[in-house]
Amino acid sequence: MLIALVAVLHVFVSHFAVGGGFFLVVTEYLARRRKDAVVLEYCRRHSKFFALLTLVFGAISGVGIWFTIGLVSPEATSTLIHAFVWAWAIEWVFFFVEIAAAIIYAATWDRLAARDHQIVGWIYFVAAWMSLFVINGILTFMLTPGRWIATQNFWDGIFNPTFWPSLVARTAVCLILAGIFGYITLPRDEGRERVARWAALWMIAGALVLPLSLWWYFTRIPHFSQLYMNGVLIGVRHALRGGVGFTLLALAIALVFGIWKPRWMRPPVVALLVLCGLGMIGAGEYLREFARKPWVINQVMYANDVRAAQVEALQSKGVSQSANFLLTGSTSGAAYGENLFQLQCGSCHSARGYRGMARRVDGWDAAFAADILQHIHKLRGTMPPFAGNEEDRKALGSYLAALNPAWHFTITDANRLEIGEKVFASRCGHCHTVNGNFRPLRGIFENQTPGQVQDMFPVLGSMNGDMPDFNAPDDQAQALAFYISREAAKPMSVKPAPAEMPTGSSHSQLMRPVEPRQEVR
Amino acid sequence: MQTIPIPHVDPLPLPAPVWLFTALLLVVFTLHVAAMNSALGGSLWALWNYLRGHRPAHPYSQRLAGELAAMLPVFLAFTVTLGVAALLFVQVLFGNFLYASSILIGILWLAVIPLVMVAYYGFYYFSYTAARGKGISGCVLAVSVCVLLGIAFIFANNMTLMFSPERWLAMYRSHPNGWNLNLGEPALLPRYLHIVNGAIALFSAILAELGMRKMKEDAGYGRWVVQRSALVFAVCTGLQFLFGMWLLLAIPREIAMVLLRAPLAGSVFGLALMSVIAAMLLILLGSLAEKPSSLVHAGFALSLVTLFLMVCLRYLLRLAYLKPYANLGALVVRPQTGVIVLFLILFVGGLVTVSYMLWMVVRSGKTRVAAVASF
Repeated sequence: MLIALVAVLHVFVSHFAVGGGFFLVVTEYLARRRKDAVVLEYCRRHSKFFALLTLVFGAISGVGIWFTIGLVSPEATSTLIHAFVWAWAIEWVFFFVEIAAAIIYAATWDRLAARDHQIVGWIYFVAAWMSLFVINGILTFMLTPGRWIATQNFWDGIFNPTFWPSLVARTAVCLILAGIFGYITLPRDEGRERVARWAALWMIAGALVLPLSLWWYFTRIPHFSQLYMNGVLIGVRHALRGGVGFTLLALAIALVFGIWKPRWMRPPVVALLVLCGLGMIGAGEYLREFARKPWVINQVMYANDVRAAQVEALQSKGVSQSANFLLTGSTSGAAYGENLFQLQCGSCHSARGYRGMARRVDGWDAAFAADILQHIHKLRGTMPPFAGNEEDRKALGSYLAALNPAWHFTITDANRLEIGEKVFASRCGHCHTVNGNFRPLRGIFENQTPGQVQDMFPVLGSMNGDMPDFNAPDDQAQALAFYISREAAKPMSVKPAPAEMPTGSSHSQLMRPVEPRQEVR
Repeated sequence: MQTIPIPHVDPLPLPAPVWLFTALLLVVFTLHVAAMNSALGGSLWALWNYLRGHRPAHPYSQRLAGELAAMLPVFLAFTVTLGVAALLFVQVLFGNFLYASSILIGILWLAVIPLVMVAYYGFYYFSYTAARGKGISGCVLAVSVCVLLGIAFIFANNMTLMFSPERWLAMYRSHPNGWNLNLGEPALLPRYLHIVNGAIALFSAILAELGMRKMKEDAGYGRWVVQRSALVFAVCTGLQFLFGMWLLLAIPREIAMVLLRAPLAGSVFGLALMSVIAAMLLILLGSLAEKPSSLVHAGFALSLVTLFLMVCLRYLLRLAYLKPYANLGALVVRPQTGVIVLFLILFVGGLVTVSYMLWMVVRSGKTRVAAVASF
């Protein structure tokens, strides 16, 4: 959670660092050409704010991301560094020039000749944009490694299929943020309207380019990522709506308070605008990260830092044969399971907090949990496969089952439906809906009595290789059958399912193992 | 169950030969340490002179504190910028060790980020308000100094822990959540003192050099700066010998022997000793002369040479520690030649660009490079 916050704030400030530099140097040029002392004074003040925000917060939070990814995904970080150390080294050169130029630009308004000062400003902007250019190559690589998978060629990795659309989209975001932050140091009296209109133009320009570039980007991302955007997943749905909403709101504010009535652009409106910008970035980052699930580097490494190439070995030999850091001496039981949880699940889930497991596995027993783990990558397509053998699955299963007290119900006619719904959510709801648009069961159970539904439970495990054995106690099975039968009889309320859903198989078939290439002897 | 867990080496090949990464690491790390020493040593100098300058009024101290105030944010900016490059190259060569030790002290390692921001904003606050001479500016600077000392301690922990894999598993089992420090390491304290004291020493040498330049504008003030800093440099260098001896005694005997006996490490060690003694003598003699002379310049240059040699020695020490666990020579290398050339061209281009900007500032004549931060 904290990590996401740091990342979003960094992206927010660092894109401003690029766009804001461009904004400053163009505004300075125009102000000098028109001999507009008020706007020039605004530039001077804005550059000081700009330097304090980007040099300190922007730069240090960027280092913070380095620290963080090293802690959370050391394997993935190591892979990116091995593949792209020279890209990072080049990015560092631009970063170095950028920092030096920013310090000089903000400090020398009185000292440098107008021309020299503007040259420093342009150097700043070019260096800043170039560092975005390089980093964009590494970031887009993670979702669309493209031909790199086969060639492992540096340039194939950097200029991957989404490089250009993403670069255009990010540049558009830079323009929008330049406009938004431009309001923070708005002059109080004279010049207020001129600057407000000018900053609004930047936001509008960015907002015009952004949707086109995002659409271009969308056509280039992998098929499974596109499928996530169909709105089945609640988080994605919220992020999509939020991102569009914040952008439209920012655009509306730019038109009304920037262009039409600049004198209304007061601190509360500016604060709202900054929040819109932050919301936009937050939604965008969430979607960008989510679209890559279950991978951290598409086709190379899963989000839990397990290499695709390792999964098979781990599944046949077990985790204890290769893991370096085990808390426990024994390799079975719930304590070992907790250890496995930290190793394989801990990068995205906690037991009870962020993406907490306790509420997700409520109602599971150890055997059911161990069985589900075998099919975990099939749930909604966002989970990596469990990389461990049967013993590992049993241990992790018993840990997960022990997170909640076992269910004991006294079922009456009054609560049967409610308990049935609970059991459905626990046992079936991770992969199915009855009437919804995600793997609906209606087709199978329509017009069946509770007794007929319940008769099918024992054969579920043998129906299809991806279904777990059904082992819930009899009273729960009865309630579940009652619920399903009742729900399937309801008139259809939701639109029919899309033809295709993201599932584990839609991305795992793309998987090509990367062979280990070196060992220390 | 393995007895000593070592994360495996990345399966991807190294994109350039080990020697190139090593050379780049040593160069950028030396520059990083020089900037870090300026930020840490400079802030201590600024704090001392700020406190001393106002009660009773001491114009030279006041002036020095004011001048340092403008430089501190720039020093810290370059400490971070150069540190990023060093972090990049050290990850390529020793990533599997560094990630493990960073995770073990994870909470404090992450705390470095907000701490640097606090110190950084503190420096800016001080640079804006130092001229007013209020007590609060001194307090803020003192907080920044303490924060930097804390950050240095966290780094000392991680850098010693990364070459002590034998300690990892027990540490992980006692606090799997990252609340560890490498306090069991006998070399930790002397190493930390060696680094902090070294920072004061090196910045004193830099200050002596800056003082020589000041003499052109104001002979009395410049001379005062040179003599003060020469004295501190000499005292800290003396202390550095004590901390260094302690450090040598604290590290395992067989590793200390590598430093003293192995041809390469031994030569570097010997050269570093000679160069630091020469630097001390030159700066002291130069500053005591009737008119501080070019001896100070030579002493300053030698102290930078010493820094580079000590950085090399530090690297060799790490290799000696990691000898049982890592073999850089066995890493598979597949150089990305085109990109390496591009990097080198851009690197030179970047240096030229920065020099060009500095030249424009200097040419404008109204300022000194050092005063650039006072916006």
